[in-house]
Amino acid sequence: MGNTVIDAHNVNKVYNPDTIPVYAINNVHLHIEEGEFTALVGPSGSGKTTLLNLIGGLDKPDQGNIVINGVDITQLSPGELIEFRLKNIGFVFQSFNLIPVLTAKENAEFIMLLQGAKKATRNERIGQLFKEIEMEDKLNSRPAQLSGGQQQRVAVARALASKPKFVLADEPTANLDSKSASNLLDIMARLNKEEKITFLFSTHDQRVIERAKRVITLVDGKITSDTAMVDTNILHAEIK
Amino acid sequence: MIWIMAWRNIWRNKMRSIIIMLSVAIGLFAGIGVQSLYDGMMTSRVRNVIDEETGHIQLHNPGFKNDYEPRYVIDNGNNLLTKIRSIEGVKFASARSITTGMLSTPTGSAGVQVNGIVAEDEYKTSLLKQKIIAGKEFNDAAENEIIIGKKLADKMKLRPGLKLVLTFTDTTGEIVSSAFRVAAVYESSNTPLDERNVYVKQATLNNLLLCGNAFQEIVVLLQNDLDTEKKQKQLQQLFPSLKIESWKELSPETEFMVKTVDQYSYIIMIIIMLALAFGIINTMLMAVLERTKEIGMMVALGTNRIRIFFLVLFETVFLTFAGTPVGLAISWIFISYFHKHGLDLSGMGKEMMNRFGFGTLIYLEFPFDKLAGVLLIVIGTALISFLFPALKALKLQPAEALRQ
Ligand SMILES: Nc1ncnc2c1ncn2[C@@H]1O[C@H](COP(=O)(O)OP(=O)(O)OP(=O)(O)O)[C@@H](O)[C@H]1O
Ligand SMILES: [Mg+2]
Repeated sequence: MGNTVIDAHNVNKVYNPDTIPVYAINNVHLHIEEGEFTALVGPSGSGKTTLLNLIGGLDKPDQGNIVINGVDITQLSPGELIEFRLKNIGFVFQSFNLIPVLTAKENAEFIMLLQGAKKATRNERIGQLFKEIEMEDKLNSRPAQLSGGQQQRVAVARALASKPKFVLADEPTANLDSKSASNLLDIMARLNKEEKITFLFSTHDQRVIERAKRVITLVDGKITSDTAMVDTNILHAEIK
Repeated sequence: MIWIMAWRNIWRNKMRSIIIMLSVAIGLFAGIGVQSLYDGMMTSRVRNVIDEETGHIQLHNPGFKNDYEPRYVIDNGNNLLTKIRSIEGVKFASARSITTGMLSTPTGSAGVQVNGIVAEDEYKTSLLKQKIIAGKEFNDAAENEIIIGKKLADKMKLRPGLKLVLTFTDTTGEIVSSAFRVAAVYESSNTPLDERNVYVKQATLNNLLLCGNAFQEIVVLLQNDLDTEKKQKQLQQLFPSLKIESWKELSPETEFMVKTVDQYSYIIMIIIMLALAFGIINTMLMAVLERTKEIGMMVALGTNRIRIFFLVLFETVFLTFAGTPVGLAISWIFISYFHKHGLDLSGMGKEMMNRFGFGTLIYLEFPFDKLAGVLLIVIGTALISFLFPALKALKLQPAEALRQ
């Protein structure tokens, strides 16, 4: 491949440093290249969400540098960070992804709207993505009228609509049944392949892990393994 | 986009939105209502002062006002009276002979101001005739008749037909006494004045005062209240040697009351607005806190603070502007009704209202002159109250908000 998208160096994050410190991320180095489809796994409390938040610029590390696409985001002001996220990063959260008062289509084009994309551009892109996620008939539904799987698919469409450098997804399938989960993974994998969009997602789910091309394991805030092969022994021990 | 979201957000919790809208409406209504009630009361008070007590303008010999000594008559009074009556804008003018003295009955005595009046003239400048509640008007045949106030009648145990004695000094300084028979009892909406003022025929009083056909006071009633100052100046120019006062100087407590009540009404406005502000802060804060996760998610996706600020601002603006016409409508209906039918405040105690010189039936006026001010205060309050919840929304940290 080639282009480096994420380059994290010696990253540390401590919660409550003054009372009972929690070393959520401990000396993490991470290097992700364009086009990757990588899973971040680890037991609950191992720091997956924290690491994704740091990479996504939602939180600041206590130590270390995080370089995204050549920009050290730890040096950006809060306002610059918001702008940076808008232009470079797609997000899919575990739950409550969509804005309830907007329709599926409006939610999907939300980022494009914030970026000031023209109506024709938006319509074309959203139409294409809704075909991909097989929800052309749900364009005008409100989130409350959609199933959990459909909502997550809209969230993926939104994350991809503006063609970001990469997409961060924190347990995107955690609230889905296995059929919806596998369907969402199909869509993510296909878009990764077709549009060359880099995905970094955290998960607990064995079936989701199996779909990843690279699996990074986090335990107690440290990366304990980083491999294209899934280490089934560790996983069985962690998931139970 | 942001304003579409704001608009739809309003309908998410209809009850809450209606409550804010109604708070604004009620705040506006309360503000306008208070202003209109106070305006109505003040108009009523001023009306009473002009119609029952002072007229618009009074003319005296400058010496008279010091001690109410009857020897300070208005020189050439009858000529002046005719002249004044012909001035444009003057509705009518009447003359009063005045002295102060002692009213005695077998059971007691009281200090009074004796007003010598020409009945037909007096009826045109004050509401004396309408205020009579017992007995009859002056009888042409009888000379020594007197009309007294109800409060005084009660105190001295007098009623029509009974006799009393008035004692006072005449224009030469001699003490004179004379017996009078009560012809009628009147009651006005200003009890202290009722207790003090008694009315006799001018001819009778002038005989006793030995002042011929001279008198001490001219009362002027104008066509238009608003002309008062202008006409006062005009009269002063015509008659520079006389003391010429308007109701504002003759009843300074009324003028003072009008000014004070104006200030009070603004203090009450502020209190109402504080209540409104807390209502809006509370409700909008709930609306923001309830959506912590949603707003956090929007910020995480790259929505900048300005847009979040405008989202909350638009929601407040929509609710405020929805409440404003409702408030105006309620005020209009309320005031129109009581403008026509009068607001009966006798529940507050007729006695109490009259002691301060108010009528008990207040006719409300829509305070057009103060409307802009009230609107500005209400809308301003709503928009200022929005700042607090908006700042709260701006301070949301996306990572923390999303964890909740
Ligand atoms: N705001 C916070 N304040 C204090 N401690 C926190 C905070 N957020 C997370 N932690 C702690 O940091 C550690 C890592 O949490 P994190 O949420 O990143 O784990 P995770 O791997 O995402 O877990 P899960 O699989 O349950 O989502 C945990 O021990 C957690 O309790
Ligand atoms: Mg997590």
